[in-house]
Amino acid sequence: MNNNQPIHLIAQEVADRTAILTVSFSFMLAMLPHFFHIPLWVTGFTLFALGWRIVQAFGLIREIPRWILVPLVLVGGLSVFAQYWTIVGRDPGLALLTVMTAFKFIESRTLRDILILIFLCYFILATHFLFGQSIPIAIYMLFTVIIITTTLITINQRDNTIPLLPRIRVASRLIALSVPVMLVLFLLVPRIPGPLWGLTKEQRGGITGLSDTMSPGEISDLITSNDVAFRVSFDADIPAQQRLYWRGPVMVRFNGQTWYQLRQERLNGQYQVDKENAVNYTVTLEPHGKKWIFGLDIPIVTPNFSYLSTEFQLTSHKPVNDLQRYSLSSQLNYQIGSQESLEYRLLAEQLPNHNNPQTVALGQQWASQFDSKLDIVNQALKMFREEEYVYTLQPPLLGANASDEFLFNTRRGFCEHYASSFALLMRAAGIPTRIVTGYQGGEINQVGNYLIVRQSDAHAWTEVWLQDRGWVRVDPTAAVSPDRIEKGLDQALNNQFSNFKIGKRHQFLGQLLYNWDNLQHNWNDWILNYDQRKQARFLNQLGLGIRSWGDMVIALVICLVVITGSYWLIAWYRDRPARPPVYEKIIQQLLGKLARKGFIKHPAEHVYEFLERIRLQQHFHDEQLTKIFDAYSRIKYARGYQKEVVIKRFRQMVAEWKAL
Amino acid sequence: MPVLSALRQRMDRYIAARNPVSSGQILLHNRRLYILPTRFGYLYAIMQIVLLLAAINYQNSMAYVLTFLLTALGIISLWQTHKNLLGISVQLNTPKPVFQGEDLILQFTLIHENPIQRYAIGIQYLNAAPEYTRLQPDQTSTISLALPAIRRGLFRPAGVVIFTRYPTGLFHAWSWLKFDVPILIYPKPLYDIKLRESLADPEHSKSTVNTTDGDDFAGLREHRQGESLRHISWKAYAQGRGMLTKTFQGHASPSLWINWSDMTATAQEARLAQMTALVIQANQLSQNYGVNLPGQEIAQHSGSAHFANCLKQISCYNQTAADAELAIE
Repeated sequence: MNNNQPIHLIAQEVADRTAILTVSFSFMLAMLPHFFHIPLWVTGFTLFALGWRIVQAFGLIREIPRWILVPLVLVGGLSVFAQYWTIVGRDPGLALLTVMTAFKFIESRTLRDILILIFLCYFILATHFLFGQSIPIAIYMLFTVIIITTTLITINQRDNTIPLLPRIRVASRLIALSVPVMLVLFLLVPRIPGPLWGLTKEQRGGITGLSDTMSPGEISDLITSNDVAFRVSFDADIPAQQRLYWRGPVMVRFNGQTWYQLRQERLNGQYQVDKENAVNYTVTLEPHGKKWIFGLDIPIVTPNFSYLSTEFQLTSHKPVNDLQRYSLSSQLNYQIGSQESLEYRLLAEQLPNHNNPQTVALGQQWASQFDSKLDIVNQALKMFREEEYVYTLQPPLLGANASDEFLFNTRRGFCEHYASSFALLMRAAGIPTRIVTGYQGGEINQVGNYLIVRQSDAHAWTEVWLQDRGWVRVDPTAAVSPDRIEKGLDQALNNQFSNFKIGKRHQFLGQLLYNWDNLQHNWNDWILNYDQRKQARFLNQLGLGIRSWGDMVIALVICLVVITGSYWLIAWYRDRPARPPVYEKIIQQLLGKLARKGFIKHPAEHVYEFLERIRLQQHFHDEQLTKIFDAYSRIKYARGYQKEVVIKRFRQMVAEWKAL
Repeated sequence: MPVLSALRQRMDRYIAARNPVSSGQILLHNRRLYILPTRFGYLYAIMQIVLLLAAINYQNSMAYVLTFLLTALGIISLWQTHKNLLGISVQLNTPKPVFQGEDLILQFTLIHENPIQRYAIGIQYLNAAPEYTRLQPDQTSTISLALPAIRRGLFRPAGVVIFTRYPTGLFHAWSWLKFDVPILIYPKPLYDIKLRESLADPEHSKSTVNTTDGDDFAGLREHRQGESLRHISWKAYAQGRGMLTKTFQGHASPSLWINWSDMTATAQEARLAQMTALVIQANQLSQNYGVNLPGQEIAQHSGSAHFANCLKQISCYNQTAADAELAIE
């Protein structure tokens, strides 16, 4: 039986209009979210390619010959290179993939090309997750997977006879059946910690967050974003709003315009922090591509992927490129840095040359005027509090001597203006001062009882070094606008910008939004954060004794067998042949008797045809047999004959029948 | 390579043992069905490996989700493709004999009693282009392959493949079907010799024969394809007795002998072609005729059964490679 011939090469059949249209639609859907961030010419070219191929499918234009296409492909590749000066990385990679897929569209001719395009569509879907993994994107992905699968079915139905809706239904059913299998794979396939190869910095672009420098205007830009920076679940009560200082990057170097970070060094040795009355909480940090992670004031112990720097900045070993979840314990009443090195203190007193002369003069004047350094600090705060300083998101533009202009002229500024000018004043007065950026406050979501900290909660404050007390937090913004610290930004800036805080909205809508945020929080916790550690913890909590990779693989196989087995069982039960009625069984008995005598009925043959055939060809004629078949026809086709009595008589007739 | 070909033979024997020849229906049960990924199935698998590597590298949960969803889709496809063939009964209907050079129609009946739709079921004979059909719930469907009738003679069908790739085309499920059904191909008639009177049998007296165009009604018989619809007994049809043809008794003309030795051609095949033509003509005249082949004589008779028998004997005469599988090229 050596006839395992290759099936006539289906893939080489020319793609018809339906195939082209459905695959074009799939590609459009798969690309749609990307059109907002790929270069405009790539979007334009993609749409052109799709349009061209569709018009060609309608026979209005001819195919582009290969000798024109090949140089064009090269031009396309070079254009991508010219756009980014590289082809490695997320954005250039995506642009190249898009351009090449568009060329494949123009070039597509056979069903094989179409199938390759379908696979490219599946592939493009995955690239969206490099830009975001939110719930709406996930839903969109699921929808698009169904549409792409519909295209796959369209190609494989062989004759365009299945209408579109049933095709979508078939695809939806396939995906619905796949979801439980996917969940099992997701939970049980052993996770390998990444990355396998290095990621370029740019591959993580497009995320907002604090930067490692601070200059006027930088934080107020951030404030307009309502993106979530992180969410925090507290073990006990959430501390008061004004105590929620989420420490981020610390900056000590100042050039008169911009504050810069030092290289973070690991803090060696012990630091004296009381372990009593510490606040315990868990942070789910959104990726921001930088190394610092956020915590309240001074952490007692650091998460294992991070360390505490000499500037008490919580620093991760790797940039935070993925959602990061960690538990912390912080002390809000602390004393740090009383043993600070002279070298660092001098650095923290440095003044930029010939810059902001008025500010420096004021600071120096205070230094001679007051004995205690604490008095100088209070004097500055008093100035902010009592004079006409305004806390605003739209401060006037400032020139080279920003602090001079702000302090003595415009007097309108945002937290970075206050922090920066205050720090300069203190330095001029001989007090070591540094800038701390981070977030302040947060919004409580009652639905999940956790705190949402947004980019709009970004804040900058200062720390001054005082003899015997070490680094003490001073927040000049609190002096100008106590509301900012006690009630939050939107309270402090009532009419200045739209309210991001959910609680400010209409009650019903607010409740809805709190629920939505809670869903996102759980999504982050359970789906996006499901890594090796989470997997181990989850399997441990299940209590089934799944510990090693071997256990996981066994559990995986068992689950897959159970799921597919139950699918099979349900399908077998639902799709089983209908049970034939009694009279069909009886007639089968009769036909069996006849077959044993050599009179075999063909399956497609009607009983009368059969009777006539055996009469003519095999010269077999039997009056009784005709009567039996008449009775059978009546029971089967005539109304009112499918009665117990009739069937009983029929059974009797068959039982009594004997071939002559 | 001898080792490989020995292995191949073993494999063929094993497959043959598991797929016995049948003259009736073949039920596609689990042991008869085979399934393997298609080339696109392999490509799909490679794509998933790439996606998985990307998911690991970027530690991207949603990329994992998509990868696993597509893997799951593959697993479900495997089952669905297999299910699309499982439980169908296939029968090859005995094909009507054709003349060499015509298209031989192999008609298959696909029967299933499941309340499901089955799509894109293909049947392929050797490497001829496959034909596709679908099955409605609980219904029977037929599918016909037109094959070139190249050589005259009596043949067995070679193995037929029934296959499907529906719904996703990632897997190819198939079964080998071997039917024990005779395929008869008559020689192409060569009309270059007249049915001369000299061929007539002088001793033969008048005989009667049942034809469709006689004078006296003789009875009903099974309708044969190609017969004029005018002779169908519609009354019998209305009674549910099927298509029956009215026959009449007529007077036959003088009977004939079609002799191998009387043929003008010299080559064997040409002679057989001439004899075929003569048999056809004699049958059209409703004459009694007999056929003389070397070492074989068919007594004089008339009627369609006789006609078929004569053509069959001519077709099978000295057939090269008797009982061969029907080749199509």
